[in-house]
Amino acid sequence: MKQTPSQTAGPFLHIGMMPEGGTVPLVSPLPSGDPITLHGTIFDAESAPVTDALIEIWHPESGWARAPTDGQGSWRLATTRPPTAPFVSLWIIARGINTALQTRLYFPDADWPNDPAMAKIPRARRGTLVASQAAAGAYHLDIRLAGEAETVFFDLQGGDDQ
Amino acid sequence: MTPLDWDRHPPALTPGYFSSVTRSPRENLIPLNPTTAELTGPVFGAQHIGALDGDLLRNAAGPDELAIGPRIIVHGRVLDEAGRGVPDALLEIWQANAGGRYRHARDGYLAPLDPNFSGCGRVLTGEDGGYRFDTVMPGAYPFPNGPNAWRPAHIHFSVFGWAFAQRLVTQMYFEGDPMIRHCPIVATLPSAEAVDALTARYDPANDRPMDARAFRFDIVLRGRRTTPMEA
Ligand SMILES: [Fe+2]
Repeated sequence: MKQTPSQTAGPFLHIGMMPEGGTVPLVSPLPSGDPITLHGTIFDAESAPVTDALIEIWHPESGWARAPTDGQGSWRLATTRPPTAPFVSLWIIARGINTALQTRLYFPDADWPNDPAMAKIPRARRGTLVASQAAAGAYHLDIRLAGEAETVFFDLQGGDDQ
Repeated sequence: MTPLDWDRHPPALTPGYFSSVTRSPRENLIPLNPTTAELTGPVFGAQHIGALDGDLLRNAAGPDELAIGPRIIVHGRVLDEAGRGVPDALLEIWQANAGGRYRHARDGYLAPLDPNFSGCGRVLTGEDGGYRFDTVMPGAYPFPNGPNAWRPAHIHFSVFGWAFAQRLVTQMYFEGDPMIRHCPIVATLPSAEAVDALTARYDPANDRPMDARAFRFDIVLRGRRTTPMEA
């Protein structure tokens, strides 16, 4: 069977994905681990903030979380630091994004330069995935959908048959 | 994990849909072997589904009230590319009301809000990947994309499979809607077959007679690559 096509989430994704009441909050339990905060801003090709996006993070060692961007295009998520992995996975949707974007946030104090994925990425672009330490336990990563310093996005494929 | 099938998904840059122009990466996606991180995903269960989450006719309605509009049932199965049902897949759904208006601060369309309709729902697939929910037929609505652009009636879906790499957001359209072929967002799809795959079929066998019409919409997620043994 063929994959169901993607379509943009449109500007009103909050209705279904950030419901304001009437149902149970969608949360996954935080594994025990050091609590951290991740934050950043999503920019478009003209460096304007993307104020109607939604970002999700996932790692089996740190759980799942999601946040919408605010009026400044900024997002903020509370999670835990994965004890062994150098990154968490990110998934981004918004009006104007036809097919959801998948990327990663690498921790600056992890051994990210030797992560196997980095070898697939042109050297000059690797830094777009590496967060900066904003404070103790707080990491910052801006996402640039297009234009200068465009974030690296992935198509995850293969890898499950070895 | 199978790669994204670009015969099915819209490319990032589709100038006919204006919003994509400043929000589309210009670089190619980098193919990457997923790690365990991406081949697993959050597990949601019945504890995340409220009693009326699958009944949009009533989940925002006052006592003895109902949402206004044509009553419909939407149902189908979530499958992988091998045709196997995906159990415990979480579907989040959102839609405009019967007049084409969203209950959202940024929607200023003339059509009135329905005080008994929020347009928000959530369902979990059963053991065979099946799901269903009750709602009203959403209305068409205009959107800013040139002098005169309208969305066909549609329902937005967010789908969680078993792997984070399967995450899908899409929209479901309705068989026979003349607005489909005029929509710039539908036109981002790469083929008529892709449009067809997002078009729910009227399914009279599953109607509730004298109550609601049924529409069927199956959702196929990326899956494990078929090994030579299975092929
Ligand atoms: Fe919509």
